[in-house]
Amino acid sequence: MSNQDGKLAQDGATDQQGGKKPRRSRRLIEERALLVLQAVLVGLVAGGASVLLNWLLHRGQVLQRQLEGSWQLVLLPALGAVLAVLLVRRGFGDMGGHGVAEVIYSVTRRGGLLRRRTIFSHLVGSLLTLGSGGSAGPEAPVVVSGASLGSAAAGLSGVSERRRVVLVCCGAASGLAAIFNAPVAGIIFVFEAILEEWTPFSMVPVAIASVVGTEVSRLFQGNQLPFAGKNLQVGLHDLAACLGLALLSALVAVLLARGLHWSEKFWKRTRLQDLSRVFIGGLAVGGLGYFLPQVMGEGYHVILDALGGNMAPGLALVLLLLAGKLLATCLTLGSGGIGGVFAPSLVLGSLAGLFYARLLHLVLPQVLFAGDDYFALLGMAGVLGALLKAPLTGVFLIVEITGGYQVLVSVLLVTTVSSWLSSYLEPLSIYRRELQERGAHFRTRTDARVLLGLNLTDLLERDCHTVHPEMSLREFVGILKRTHRNYFPVEDTGSGRFLGLVHLDDVREYIFEPRLFDVVVVADIMESEPVTVSPDTLLPEVMQLFETSKAWSLPVVYQGKFLGMISKSRILDFYRRELLAEEN
Amino acid sequence: MKGELFHIFRNTPFGREIFLQSLYTCKTMGKKAKVLLPGFKQYLMYFEHAVVTLELDDSFLRARATAETHARELAGQAGVDITFLEPREFTASTLPDLPIDFDIMTCPRSMKDMSSKVGLGYIGPRVRALVRHAPFPVLIPAAVFKPFNSLVVFFGGSEYSRRALSVAREMAGKTHMPLSLFTVLENQDEAHYRRILEQEGLLAEIESGHIKWQLAGGQPLREAFYSVPHDALVVAGAFGHGVVRDIVFGSMLEQIQTILPNNLLIVGPQCVHLS
Repeated sequence: MSNQDGKLAQDGATDQQGGKKPRRSRRLIEERALLVLQAVLVGLVAGGASVLLNWLLHRGQVLQRQLEGSWQLVLLPALGAVLAVLLVRRGFGDMGGHGVAEVIYSVTRRGGLLRRRTIFSHLVGSLLTLGSGGSAGPEAPVVVSGASLGSAAAGLSGVSERRRVVLVCCGAASGLAAIFNAPVAGIIFVFEAILEEWTPFSMVPVAIASVVGTEVSRLFQGNQLPFAGKNLQVGLHDLAACLGLALLSALVAVLLARGLHWSEKFWKRTRLQDLSRVFIGGLAVGGLGYFLPQVMGEGYHVILDALGGNMAPGLALVLLLLAGKLLATCLTLGSGGIGGVFAPSLVLGSLAGLFYARLLHLVLPQVLFAGDDYFALLGMAGVLGALLKAPLTGVFLIVEITGGYQVLVSVLLVTTVSSWLSSYLEPLSIYRRELQERGAHFRTRTDARVLLGLNLTDLLERDCHTVHPEMSLREFVGILKRTHRNYFPVEDTGSGRFLGLVHLDDVREYIFEPRLFDVVVVADIMESEPVTVSPDTLLPEVMQLFETSKAWSLPVVYQGKFLGMISKSRILDFYRRELLAEEN
Repeated sequence: MKGELFHIFRNTPFGREIFLQSLYTCKTMGKKAKVLLPGFKQYLMYFEHAVVTLELDDSFLRARATAETHARELAGQAGVDITFLEPREFTASTLPDLPIDFDIMTCPRSMKDMSSKVGLGYIGPRVRALVRHAPFPVLIPAAVFKPFNSLVVFFGGSEYSRRALSVAREMAGKTHMPLSLFTVLENQDEAHYRRILEQEGLLAEIESGHIKWQLAGGQPLREAFYSVPHDALVVAGAFGHGVVRDIVFGSMLEQIQTILPNNLLIVGPQCVHLS
């Protein structure tokens, strides 16, 4: 930018009015300070929302416990789910899906833009679904709500897309940290499962928001460990046994992921209306819960029983609960219930760990293993890590909610191995799988996401020289002398319709043969069915076409009319500029 | 796509009137139309700083079997090229995203919220959000198809009305229709507006009579607006004076919508030039 004298303006120099321009470094500091302040505010509000949901959930579950053993329990999840859908879909008008996938889509494709209604809709929906006994978790709704808060905060201050994404992540981290009283897990979850990148620019505000959310939670709920563990003595044989548990955890995670997928497909095939679907699904959960009340709700009391040794002995009950919880979760979420998979995966993990521990005792009674609670803890981390493809989240969550660093090595082993094993059958996390099915799965900061931010029509090269099929080679050579172009679109003389393409490389042998000048016409040398793209083609697809066709430029055609050429070099040039713009 | 008008088609007699208006606008401006035959009740439009939800009522989803045929027939009669938009990206499985790279969008006349009272003068929050964030002007047609033969810009001197004027001048260039200005004298005198018009480079054209400039003041708006031609496309900026003023005093734009039955083209704060 130049000032009135035409000289380039520099940092600290005067602007056109003669005032001092702030140095770039000072501007950066101010912007980052503002981002930190916004992170604190988002952390406060998201943390508060999380605490409120938790408190309301526990009040709601009182009714559920009072109805245990009575026939009304069968109806309760159905009524709660119907009410949730009515309020969320008809009341808030939120037709959204399962939450965290929407946050990932927003971050990877939409620059962190989220609808404001999702601040409340997912909270209300999960409260009604879980409070009435639906088998799901409140964590995902809290993450979505916090993320939407971050997006709204960004919208109020008109920040850049990059900063908006950071604020979305701040909200998500704060919500999760508050509900678990686990600040590190909140931070790591955002970077592992949502953002998939670690940069200093985003780490500081996200960390601050997570800490603030945790402190809000501690202010109202106290600094209690959700599942305080005993002092565990872990030996080498326990570590060896972890490998088997990792395999079991991976299997359970895959079963849960596939079960949810199949359940959704099943309910879609029934063609029932959304209210009928959730009602019937809720009835099924209620029916299951009548016989196995432990499968209802978020299920943290089951984890406490597993960790505390309060579960009846034997393998059968544990296996039954495992299967029952799996089924209940698939019924609740597959039929359209509103909630997350965090809590069910932890419950399933604790049951899988307990089952494994008891199996070990049965098979190897002479070996003194660490204890049922040890394997239950590891199972929780293993299933969570494998399901979300976020092993570090599983590790730090378990460590923070149990206060026990003694299990750190074991947890690391189980989560990493289970994530690795499960990726053979389910390569993507449950959130990204949903996006992939919609064709919307792109990772942040990779070529595809940056390219998607570019518009093909903005990159078109329109200064092309069109030719006609009847044109003689002599006339064509005359054009060649006047242009720097290598590609020449061929258009019908009358209708202007695009007919093909002449590439200079293909005609080199002819243009130095004057005897052909009046014999050969363009129709003889053109490629009549070249690879073309339309203005709607996404740039990642265009790049793929460049790969397969080996071309450097492709014609852009719309309704049979040639619009311009799109070249690889131009795309890469704009791609570089886009990256630079994002850095600023 | 740039150079196109975006229209959400409703396969009903009222929807036909709106579509005819869109087609007429395309014809006069030499544009093509991109038509959505809605299959969902909600669509999202992601703009630079906000995501706007388009909520459609049930009438948009009726008679889908004949919607495409009817749309093609009407377009064929009007001599306008149309293509149909199939959403390719989805925020959720039942929540498709719509592109935003259009020149103009015809706003669905009835949405889910109170803007069903649009015909009574109320511009609802959904339409307002669309106008506020869209990089294209929004065409709000009259209830019944009425070809426009001139352009009238409501010029109040604000930044947004200057933007509306800029869009109207571009339209006048493409359509070769006469352009006139209409100014309601509120808190400033004529000299103030003359200075602004001079800056815009329009004063000479006004003084030569090429562009008509009408000033209204000292009379109720309902009387002043009577002089706006019935067959003019009214172009106005979204004033954006803030929520309080919009609620307490009612924006000029809402009064225009209430009093005038004309087709209305609203130019929002994010509008860029037409292609």
